[in-house]
Amino acid sequence: MILLEVSGMTKQFGGLRAVDSLDLSIEKGQIFGLIGPNGAGKSTAFNCIAGAFAPTAGVITFNNEKINGQKPWDLCKKGLARTFQIVKPFASKSVLYNVMVASFVTTNSRSVAEEKAIKVLESLSFSDKKDILSGNLTIADRKRLEIARALATEPKLLLLDEVMAGLRPAEVDDMVQVLKTIRDQGTTIFVIEHIMRAIMALSDRIVVIQFGKKIAEGTPKEIANNENVIKAYLGEDYAVA
Amino acid sequence: MNPKQINKIALIAILLIAFGLPLVIRSATYLHILVLLFFYAYLTTSWNLVGGFAGVLPLGHAAFVGIGAYSSTILFLQYGISPWIGMLVGGVLATFAGVLIGLPTFKMRGAYFALATIAFAEGFRVIVENVDYLGPFKINGPRGLQIPPLDTGLANFLFTTKEPYYYIILIMLIAVLILTYVISRSKLGYYLNAGGEEPEAAMALGVNVARAKLIAMAMSSFLTALAGTFYAQFTLYIHPKSIISLDLSFEIAFIALIGGRGSIAGPILGALLLRPVGDFSRIYFGDTLPGMHLVIFGLVLILVMHYQPRGLQEPLTRLYANLVQRITQKTTGR
Repeated sequence: MILLEVSGMTKQFGGLRAVDSLDLSIEKGQIFGLIGPNGAGKSTAFNCIAGAFAPTAGVITFNNEKINGQKPWDLCKKGLARTFQIVKPFASKSVLYNVMVASFVTTNSRSVAEEKAIKVLESLSFSDKKDILSGNLTIADRKRLEIARALATEPKLLLLDEVMAGLRPAEVDDMVQVLKTIRDQGTTIFVIEHIMRAIMALSDRIVVIQFGKKIAEGTPKEIANNENVIKAYLGEDYAVA
Repeated sequence: MNPKQINKIALIAILLIAFGLPLVIRSATYLHILVLLFFYAYLTTSWNLVGGFAGVLPLGHAAFVGIGAYSSTILFLQYGISPWIGMLVGGVLATFAGVLIGLPTFKMRGAYFALATIAFAEGFRVIVENVDYLGPFKINGPRGLQIPPLDTGLANFLFTTKEPYYYIILIMLIAVLILTYVISRSKLGYYLNAGGEEPEAAMALGVNVARAKLIAMAMSSFLTALAGTFYAQFTLYIHPKSIISLDLSFEIAFIALIGGRGSIAGPILGALLLRPVGDFSRIYFGDTLPGMHLVIFGLVLILVMHYQPRGLQEPLTRLYANLVQRITQKTTGR
């Protein structure tokens, strides 16, 4: 079953076409990767899907419903959650408070929200830090908090925007495990990542974009050997190899 | 004793003192000062729902005080309607005004929002100051309205002594504090805090930030207007300069910022510190240096923002927590 389908999505900022008629479709239960050089339009594509921007053209279908231009909070209630590349914790509040904001999506009761938040924190082995102010967390823990908050909204599809950037190699391996566990529990994951080792190990399928356009799509293995991708990342000279 | 018991005892002690004070203080002047202190604590607590939790800085709340005071006073003087009913009418009108201001302005950030609210309140004051009749309602321009203290009694919200006013404002203050406490622990409280701190992240987590802020604004303006009626009935004389002035809006913000925005104790601590300072500076400098109290407020604000940017409530709650811990250890013998 196809959970998210994007067809012909374009986002124009004045004279700049940040995303140029992008097509992709994500199956339920997949981990789907989106990669591309800096400034390729990955985050813009995410922002359009998550409702932060309305796309200039194209159709986005989520769970058999057209969601173009819907507000982020409505999309969140429908099961589409995201994290931010630049983490945005509610810094003056504790970790638990942060996650509770998210778990209030499906309930009005404080005790139910708290219970759910603690469950999510436990599943990420994060509950020992629940009373720490989120502003005092390390970068790895802040990224983890972003994921915890997104998970607490009980999403069907999780959009992860560079959750591994800035992590040490050991932390990256931990994160890969965490994401695999989340997928195994039934959440589909759409991930932007720069760390190739991670995205190759994680993804079932990868789309590569450059200057807003899709230049390749396939399994990690196919992508690693694709000539266009090597050109985009390393330049023309390396393409022959 | 465990910390919970100590908290309970402290709360009961404060309530006993608050309710018992008029039995000890017989001077009408001091009672008057106390009533105004509670009045400002009440106003700031109402303001705090928007200015504290929602993370914006409204500087036009005097307009709501004015709407409350004028609504009930006009209804009382022209139609003989009890100020208690007028109080609710004023509250409802202020709610509409609050939502109307909130709709276009909540998208603005920081100083722009503050300026927009100042502009609205000042515009309202200038209108009231320059017309004698607003439709069929006599508002008397800059001369204001006077309530003749004739039929005193609870039904007319008029009393010959200060004590009834003291208890009315005290109960109003306690009610609004309880409301704030309940909201701060509810979904709305979480949503306001989240939306105030990181609106983008909050929206992505299912929070309709603008809607939460509007609800808070509606409640805040309603509660603020109730205090306007109280003020009219207490001083028996209202005019635009006294209740729709920028000074009043600023004083509320001063008290909140110095006491601690977004906390429950902040407005009370701020009022406890600033009101006496203001009153005594008016007593001693009133004829030579009028307005000295605002200069002093400014100085206090600079000092507090420099050393305790989250207001006085932070070091004081820490102090209290230490005290509670010590008492717990001593009584349990460790």
